[in-house]
Amino acid sequence: MSNDLHVLESLPAYALGSLDGEEAQVVSEHIAGCYLCRQELNAFQAVADQSLLAVPEARPSGDLRPRLMERIQSLNVKQSAQTVRRRFPGRLMPVGALVSLALIVVLAVSNFLLWQRLNNSEVLAGPLGMRAIALQHTSAAPSGSGFVIMGADGRNGVLVVDKLPILAETREYQIWLVRDSSYTDGSVFSVDEYGYRGVRLRAPDSLLSYSAVWVTIEPAGGSPEPTGERVLSGSLFNP
Amino acid sequence: MKSDGLDDILLVKLIAAAHTDALEQLYDRYNRLVFSVALAILGDRSVAEEATLDVFVHVWRGAKTYHPDRAKVNTWLVAITRHHAIDILRWQNSRPDTKSLSLDDVFLSNGPEMPDPEAHAELSLQQARVREAIAQLPPEQRQVLLLAYFKGHTHQQIAKILEKPLGTIKTRIRLAMQKLREMLLDEVQVTDKSEGA
Repeated sequence: MSNDLHVLESLPAYALGSLDGEEAQVVSEHIAGCYLCRQELNAFQAVADQSLLAVPEARPSGDLRPRLMERIQSLNVKQSAQTVRRRFPGRLMPVGALVSLALIVVLAVSNFLLWQRLNNSEVLAGPLGMRAIALQHTSAAPSGSGFVIMGADGRNGVLVVDKLPILAETREYQIWLVRDSSYTDGSVFSVDEYGYRGVRLRAPDSLLSYSAVWVTIEPAGGSPEPTGERVLSGSLFNP
Repeated sequence: MKSDGLDDILLVKLIAAAHTDALEQLYDRYNRLVFSVALAILGDRSVAEEATLDVFVHVWRGAKTYHPDRAKVNTWLVAITRHHAIDILRWQNSRPDTKSLSLDDVFLSNGPEMPDPEAHAELSLQQARVREAIAQLPPEQRQVLLLAYFKGHTHQQIAKILEKPLGTIKTRIRLAMQKLREMLLDEVQVTDKSEGA
């Protein structure tokens, strides 16, 4: 690639997250295929993260530590209860895994067939009660699109995205299944050079029990809860 | 298990294995840093305290996602804090009046409470280097850095806030980041090498 096509001048602003939609899209598409610019971006990202260390010292109130430990305690209690609830379904795993595998194959084939029909509708009812839900993009991914396809009982589903911005190595996309004010990690993924990816959704409960699905930008490896910018979202409620 | 004196990476590994005393130890080391970043971005102590709690709960639930080859623990923590705080700002859709923020308040003052030099020697050194580097930037470059990274504004929003041409804003951001990179070369190289590993 010749130098005049590089996006070196935009990388500092991209690392700060201050490029506007279209410019950010141009940069993300370029760095997907340019090792030099990716390396440069990683260096500027490191500078940006370092700059956070310059803030003046402040001290939170003394009761924050006990409040934190209370929250952790309450999380641990919830987690123990969930573990007990999951034991019984665990015995059915071999059969469940085979059924899931078969459904994934069906979903993948349906993916292509349904894609074009989704352009103008949010929800599409498919064969045997299958449903497809188109997701709305945000200004953080102006060209991005995606949809969720799920089986009739909501036990299995896939997310397919297209034209999402390529992220720096230190960032990944994360899927969130939203219910009330809680967020369940649905998977972490990166996209290929076209911004495309298909991902199986992982959820402890039926997908029908969640109200919405979000895709956010998170630190690589994912976060326990959404912390970054949302790029796609859609309602799963009464699909 | 006693976790006093363990290095940061080991602490995070212990947290991933559900050792609450390791989380307490990490909190003791970094609560001021996390709170300081949250406060600088959010401008409100009670909201910043909630954000601080959120960050450490995130760490508890997601410690296994930490990759020591990609970032130091303190950099990982402040990056999570910044993302979460900016997201809160956007959810609130009511950023503080950024025109009235003092650059020196955000970047240059050490504040009345310095970290314990023995317990935080490495972090203090790192912070001093970054503060010194940022202090050497012209005020107008510090200002755009503040608005972009600490307040989550885009080029166009910054141009509107400062009533300056878009090109001027782009140039200031680029120059500020290039100068910082030169001044913080060693710190950045450490990260580069580890990320490439």
